Amino acid sequence: MNNLLLFIIRYSAFLLFVLLEMVALVLIVRYNDDQRDIFLNSSTVFSGKVYNAADKAYKYSYLQVIADSLASENAKLKTELFNLERTIQHIEGSEQPLDSCVLEPFRIINARVINNSIDQRNNHFTIDRGTNDGIRNGMGVISPHGIAGIIDQANEKYATAISILHSAARISASIKRNNFFGSLVWRELNPAYMILEAIPRQADIVVGDTIITSGYSFIYPRGIFIGTVHRFWTEGGSNYYTIEVKLHEDISRLDRVYVVDYKEMQMQSQ
Amino acid sequence: MNRETLRHIIRGMLFLIVQVLILKRISSGSQWLWLNGEIFIYPIIVLLLPIRLSRHYVTLISFCLGLFIDMFYDTVGIHAFALTAMGYARGIILSYLEPRGGYQLTMSPTRHSMGINWLLAYTSLLFIVYVFLYFTVEIFTFVYVGKILVKTIITFLLSMMTIMGYHMLFNPRR
Repeated sequence: MNNLLLFIIRYSAFLLFVLLEMVALVLIVRYNDDQRDIFLNSSTVFSGKVYNAADKAYKYSYLQVIADSLASENAKLKTELFNLERTIQHIEGSEQPLDSCVLEPFRIINARVINNSIDQRNNHFTIDRGTNDGIRNGMGVISPHGIAGIIDQANEKYATAISILHSAARISASIKRNNFFGSLVWRELNPAYMILEAIPRQADIVVGDTIITSGYSFIYPRGIFIGTVHRFWTEGGSNYYTIEVKLHEDISRLDRVYVVDYKEMQMQSQ
Repeated sequence: MNRETLRHIIRGMLFLIVQVLILKRISSGSQWLWLNGEIFIYPIIVLLLPIRLSRHYVTLISFCLGLFIDMFYDTVGIHAFALTAMGYARGIILSYLEPRGGYQLTMSPTRHSMGINWLLAYTSLLFIVYVFLYFTVEIFTFVYVGKILVKTIITFLLSMMTIMGYHMLFNPRR
C-alpha cells in the first residue's frame, strides 16, 4: 500500500498526463462525428481489404458452380427454342389442330470440352458427358457460336466427338438468304475456315451471306448459325460453287458445348 | 495573485485572441495555405510558462487551454489532446536541454534569457510533438500517414516562423 502510494506520488505527473489524454480522446471520439466515423471506418479499411480478397477467392472457386448452373439453364432454353422452332415449321405446313402439332423432338445436354485438337488432319475432342447422361453416337455437338462436331464414341462417363475439322465430317448447311444447301467440309486449310460444296451456279451468293445448318440431317436442328461467306469461286468446268466459309466459332477455344439429342434420329435408326 | 501570474494571464489572453480571431481565419478560409496547413501560435503560452512550474500544473494548464481553443475550432478534444502531450513533454525537453549547472531562478524560456539556439531547439522540439499529434488525431488514422506528414511539416514551418517572429519582435524577458 505504501509502495503504491509512493508510486502514485512519484509518477503523479505522468498519471495526470495519461488521464487527461484519455479524457481528450474520449471527448474526441464522443463529440466529433468525423473522428467517430473514422474510428468506426478505419478498421474497415484493413478488414475490408481482407474481406474483399477472401470474397474474390471464394467467388472464384464458386464460379465453376455458377457456370455449370448457367450452362444447364442454357441447355433447357435451347431445348425449348429448338422444339418451338420445329413446332412452328410443322404448323406452317399442316392443317392439324394446334395441340397435336406441338413437337418435342430435341433435348439438349450441356457438356464441357476436356480435350481438343485443331492441328491434325482429323481432329477430335472429348466431352465430360457419357451414356449415363444420355449421350449416344451420332449426336450433334453445338457450341455457343456455332457447331462443334458429332459424337463418335461414347462410354459411360465420357464421349469423343469428331470435330467439324475432320476429313470425314460432312455437315448439311444452307445459305440462310435463299435456302440453297450443300455440304460443309474441312480441307485442312485453316481451323477458321471450312468449304461449302455443291451449291449450284445459279445460286445468288454474295460475300458475307450467312450460312446456317439446313436441318436436313438428323444431327443438327435447322437454323444454327455456322459462319459467313468469306469468298467463293467455281473450279474449272464445274457447275457448283466452292464457297469458303469463315466459321463463327473459334474451334480452338471450345469450352462449353451442347449435345443435341434428336429423338427422331433414334426412331429412324431403330 | 501576483504581478507575474497576471502578466502571464493577460499575455495568454492576447495570444488566444490572435489565434482565434486572426490566425484561424487565415488558415481555414484561404487557398493560399497549401494543403490546408494551419498556423498555431497559442501553444507559445505553454512554452512561456515559468521553467520551475511543476509538471502537474503545466499539464493541467495545457489541457484546459486546449479545450478552450477546441471550443472555437469546433474540434472537441483534438487541441486538448495534442497540447496536453506537449505540456507533459515540456518537462522532458527542459531537463534534456538543461544547461550545465541547472536552471537559475531568474531564467525563463525566452530568447532574452536563454539565447537563440536554446530557444530554437526548445520551441521546435515541442512544436513538432504538438503539430504531429494534432494532425494524427485530426485525421485519426495512420492510413493517411503521408497526409499527416505533409500537413505537419507545413504547419510546423508556418507556426515556427510566427513564434520566432514574436520572439524577435518583442523579445520578452519573462
